[in-house]
Amino acid sequence: MRGRRAQIAVAAVLFIMGFLAIVQLRSQGGGSGLDSLTTQDLSALIANLNVRNEQLATEVSTLGAQLRDMDAARSRGETSLGGLRADLRRLRLWAGLDPVRGQGVTVDVSGTIDADAVNDILNDLRSSGAEALAIGDARVVAGTVVAGEPGALVLDGSAVPPAFRVSAIGNPVNLAAALTRVGGVVGRIEVANPDVVITVAPDDSLALPASDRSLAPQYARPRV
Amino acid sequence: MSGLVGRLRAIPSWQAALFGALLVVGFLVVTQLRAEAPRVRYTSQERRPLLETALELQARQEALKDRIVALGMSISEVEATSAGTNVLVADLNRQLQEARTAAGLVELEGPGIALQLEDSNAPIPPGEPPGDYRVSALDLRRVVDELWLAGAEAVGVNGERVTATSAFTDIGTALLLNSAYLQPPYQVVAIGPPEMYARLTESPRFVDFLRARVRDVGIRLGVAQLDQAVVPAYAGSVRLVYAQPAVSAPPSAAPSRPPGRASPPP
Repeated sequence: MRGRRAQIAVAAVLFIMGFLAIVQLRSQGGGSGLDSLTTQDLSALIANLNVRNEQLATEVSTLGAQLRDMDAARSRGETSLGGLRADLRRLRLWAGLDPVRGQGVTVDVSGTIDADAVNDILNDLRSSGAEALAIGDARVVAGTVVAGEPGALVLDGSAVPPAFRVSAIGNPVNLAAALTRVGGVVGRIEVANPDVVITVAPDDSLALPASDRSLAPQYARPRV
Repeated sequence: MSGLVGRLRAIPSWQAALFGALLVVGFLVVTQLRAEAPRVRYTSQERRPLLETALELQARQEALKDRIVALGMSISEVEATSAGTNVLVADLNRQLQEARTAAGLVELEGPGIALQLEDSNAPIPPGEPPGDYRVSALDLRRVVDELWLAGAEAVGVNGERVTATSAFTDIGTALLLNSAYLQPPYQVVAIGPPEMYARLTESPRFVDFLRARVRDVGIRLGVAQLDQAVVPAYAGSVRLVYAQPAVSAPPSAAPSRPPGRASPPP
């Protein structure tokens, strides 16, 4: 009788142990990485993913159409020169190899601003959808970074004057709103550096030069 | 002493087994509760559908990016096979390949550096914001900027290429790059000249970063020099809505640039 009761007790305890061990293992393996996000962050992530997926879907359908056109042209024994040229024009604009024009915003900066703050402005403009950027007469491309000490900033080896203009082509409303919102990058910089003055203004006919950097890699090769 | 041993011996073995098992149960319960603690804070009714939506959208994004890379490769192939038919097409194709490389649409390999950044696991002193002990978008941007200044030709982070329009943004404990959700450890890979490593490690700004973030806060950083670093292709949209060509003439297919590269003889 007593041995029976003991067996039941041990069985019950072992059952609970097994259950807990499984729960523990499962809860530790929940590795989507999204678990640590707050509801608010999750909503922001979803909004961002929606916009981005829409852009990607558009890109997929455009590339698909381009490929079909090229295949059709090839089966007729032709090459779509117009298609190739349009493709080339778009890529060169996007990469900064050709000058661009369009609407956007200008950001006039004066005072002894530090390099990080200027790079913050560039990052904020990019994150609000800037399609092309320039500092003064220098086009900003991948790898363009402002360096140097406050008051003696350097861009691609040339000195940046004490008062300079950042130009960004993109949706003027979005770009201006992102920079000047409460707690935005302009407010933060002006609070940290009282002598810095930043003026953001929409502009409907910006013209940005091509990059004068060589964008052809010397050390990197296409991977095949 | 011998009395105690005698009493212990008198305990039936099933009781001893039960005692041991209960001890383990207690341990498991405590571990479980402790593991649950940070999670419980965010549990609410609207959270689960949000989490599922985010996961679905992420999976869709991955599929779309794969599709874009595959389509880009097919297009390059078709263009390449139409090459050689005439000089004009061959020249256009060469320019297209150059533009794609400049835009970051081509996966590259070459000598380089890999850096890995991870959140600090130092105990956070009371009153200090825990966010300071994580790798932030700004940390990553500093490292990437220092790599550019050290001469990098191409930089990628966790499979995303850093392009002319790439922004780094904090989101929760992770970050967005090219609107893709990246989480630590962050692996930054750069291709560049042999002196890139020395330039990076001797840069005063990089040394400041090491002091402030690695030494003082405990952000974990590893650096390796690679003979064969691989930087991913940008798999995203290169559509321009607001930017237009500044000159109305289309880029000429005629060899307006110095001749002599890649154009096969007719």
